[in-house]
Order: sequence, then C-alpha cells, then structure tokens
Amino acid sequence: MAEGAEKGEDLRRSLLAIVAEEGMVKDRTIGVDDQLADLGIESADFVMILMAIEEKFGVYVPVDESLTEAKTVGELLDVVVAHIEEHRRQQVAS
Amino acid sequence: MRPIAITGLGAVSACGLGADRLWRAARDGHSAVGEVLFPRIHRQQVKQMARIADADFATLLETAKPRFQDRTAILGIAAAREAVARAGLGPEDFGERCGVVVGSGLGGAETIEQGYIRFVEDPASRSDVMAIPKLMANSTASWIAMSFKATGPTLCISTACSSATQSIGLAADLIRAGIVDRCLAGGAEALLIDGAFAAWEALHVMTTSHCRPFSRERNGMVLGEGAGVVVLESMEAAEARGATVLAELVGYATNADANDLLRPDPVGATTCIRKAVDSSGLDPSRIGYVNAHGTGTVANDLTETTALRTVFGDAFDGLAVSSTKPIHGHALGAGGALEFIVTVEALRNRIAPPTINFLGVDPKIGFEPVPNVARPFTADAAMSNSFAFGGINASLVVALPGRG
Repeated sequence: MAEGAEKGEDLRRSLLAIVAEEGMVKDRTIGVDDQLADLGIESADFVMILMAIEEKFGVYVPVDESLTEAKTVGELLDVVVAHIEEHRRQQVAS
Repeated sequence: MRPIAITGLGAVSACGLGADRLWRAARDGHSAVGEVLFPRIHRQQVKQMARIADADFATLLETAKPRFQDRTAILGIAAAREAVARAGLGPEDFGERCGVVVGSGLGGAETIEQGYIRFVEDPASRSDVMAIPKLMANSTASWIAMSFKATGPTLCISTACSSATQSIGLAADLIRAGIVDRCLAGGAEALLIDGAFAAWEALHVMTTSHCRPFSRERNGMVLGEGAGVVVLESMEAAEARGATVLAELVGYATNADANDLLRPDPVGATTCIRKAVDSSGLDPSRIGYVNAHGTGTVANDLTETTALRTVFGDAFDGLAVSSTKPIHGHALGAGGALEFIVTVEALRNRIAPPTINFLGVDPKIGFEPVPNVARPFTADAAMSNSFAFGGINASLVVALPGRG
C-alpha cells in the first residue's frame, strides 16, 4: 500500500506509531486506552505529532476543541482519523 | 497610578493606512483577511491572512529608504509619523526628554529571509551589506528616534504578542518615573512571507477556515501585520503645550506565567488583569469594554474568559468584550498597539466593536463577546489585553480625560 494511503486498522496502527515516535514515549508500546498525560505528551509534543501526520497524510489538523478534549491515545486517533477521512473526501470531490 | 496623557495615534494595518481606517474597519466589522499564496511553500495549508494591500505599501515606499529599512521599519515609521502629526508635536518637543519604546517579535523578518535565500542559492554572491542594520529588532525603534531626533532612551521590547502592550506600559512607566516627558510607543511586525509563514503553519495554531474568537467551533488564529504607535506624555507636558488629550492611560500591569512556552495559564492571566485594574484605582464595574487578546485558539479564549470572569466578578455580565483580530489579523509584535488604538477609539466613541465570525456560545466559555455587530456602552474606561507565547501577559487600562 502507498505511504499515507492506509485505511481502517492499518491507518490507526500507522498513527499510533507516529504518536509514540513524535511524543517520545519511552517504551514505544502504547495502547489506545493510555492517558496522554500519563505518557508525558504535552502541548509541544502535540505540535510534533500534528506535523508528522501532515507530512505523511497531507492533512492539516488545527488544534481545535475536539483535539484539546482528547484525553487518551484512542481519542486522539479518532480526531485525527476524522480529519484524514474528511481530507480524502474533499480530494475526491475536487 | 498617575494618569498619562495619550495625545497621538498612528496605525498601518491590513485595514489600510491610518488609525482611522483601522478603527472604522473594527467598528464596522469589515475584515481585511484574504487569501495569500506563497510561491515557495510546497504545500500551503493555511491561506487566510490579513496582509497590507500592495497599493498601500507602495504609498509608504514613496517616502521610505528600502535599502536601509526592512518592511517592519517602513510600517513603524509611517505609524509614528501619523501619531506625531495627530499629537501636533514640533521639533522642540523631541530631544532628550522624548523616548522611543517600539517592540517587534521577529524584527526584520523579510530581510532575514531574503538574506538566507540569497546565501543558499548563491553562496558566492555578495550579501546585502545593510542586512544586519535592517534586520535587527531595534531597527524600527531607532529609525523612529532618528526620524524625529528623539534622543531620550530608545528601547525595543521583543516579547512576541506582548511586545507592543509592554512597550506602551513601559513608556508610561518611564514618564511616571520622570525619566522623560513623552514617548513614542508601540510595535511593528511584518512576517507574512514564505519561510516565516511556513514556520507559523508548523505550530498548527492557525485556522484553515475563519478565525472566530470565543465562538463555538473556533479552531485557530489568523495572522496579520502592521504597526501601531501612540504618543504618551505626562499630563503636565501635554498641558504645557496645549495638547488635546484623547484619553488617559490609567492602568498597566505585566507578569509571567513562568510555566509553559506555548500553553497559557489562567492564574498568570488573572493576576495580570487584576493588577492592571488595581493600578488604575478603578472599581472593575467602571470598565465597560475589554479588547481581548482573543486569538481564536481553543486555549487562549478559554483562559482569558476564566481570567476576566474571575477579576470582574459580578460586573462581568455587563462587560462588553470583543476580539478584533478576525478583522486586522493577529499582528503579533504590533498586535497590542493596533488593539490599544482600537480600544482608545472604542472608548472615545463609546462603541464596542464586534467579534466577527461568531457562530454561537461555546458552552465551556458561556458568554457572548459582542457578537458580529458593534454595540454602544456607557462606561468611562476600557482595557486591552495581550498574552504572549513565552507566558508573558500584559494589560492596559484607559479612561476618558478626567474620568480615571
């Protein structure tokens, strides 16, 4: 599959790896139920994660309410997946 | 604190040349935000910004020295000229009893960028010999001092989005301390160019749609550029030369969160606003309008609302609060000066300009910040806030002459 074209579970796995890498989570074994605060992921890490997602998937995710509300890794992935899907819909439309 | 006379206002912004253009755009809710595309950005995600019209900048270039002045300085000098003319200052009013406090976040951003592009593309080429004096952050302040022969202290405060607000506050402190009789104070910023904009994009704090401060569905800020300069004088100095006092600066405070470089802290913002109100000696209920920092990011607007609600207490419900950033853009190091000028005009006209693009109340914020259309207010005092990256807060309080 082409880089940045993953769907479904592949997409979430790919995003999970980005969160671990860019959030500099020590053991890199993170799960969707982990609290972002427990992993030490703070405001600056969010920006790194969003930049990496933009590079890989070409989607700009602004720090909006849904993102700041995300408390767990899974909630963060939900927000990002929604942005990626919306971005892909717009690309198809145009 | 002892009131300081505000006798001149000058502004250059995407709303046009002059403080009056800025004020009318703010009052009428006419946004200067539009789409700008940068050829060097490979994949530009954010396209909305408030950039000064090319025709307006061309007008400024007619009297500028672009070989020696970055765009930032050209904007700053134009704003200073307007402020000085409005104040009616003559050559005898400058000299060592006049200071200059004009800040900037990045300084000569365009000169920096052009210099690096030239250096990388052709390392053998000759560098712009004036690059350093053009790009240094104090260039604008020094050009203003040179333009009017103001030989008192010249200072440049570089504290990101609080630069201009702190500059105006410090200028008032210098006057109150008796170090000078008057000051030209404000800020200038011009970084809407490819590389600097791409760096801003990377922070992911800008919206790809519309900047809608305090609104539900807000998702970021919109950048702007410009310069704002005001003339501040001791009441005695203003009186001695028979100057018209537009308004009085009656309160100022600044502090630091000392907590996080990016995330604002409600405790720091609350303390700053409270100290500014306290320094004015006014009961919070006497303040009728607040020009909020109101960037339109989730974090700032929530923090600022918490701070205002805490300080104003029961008076918060009657307070007109608005952010005019969706109109003139967030002009960063110039932002505090543009917004201070809007605040002074709002007070003089007793009209609270609107927060445009407002869709509805965010339940977490729970109030309406003068939504979409201006509204009159009756109080004699108003406030302007700036909260910067780096956790630096600054608030100014102004009052109508004799009402402080």
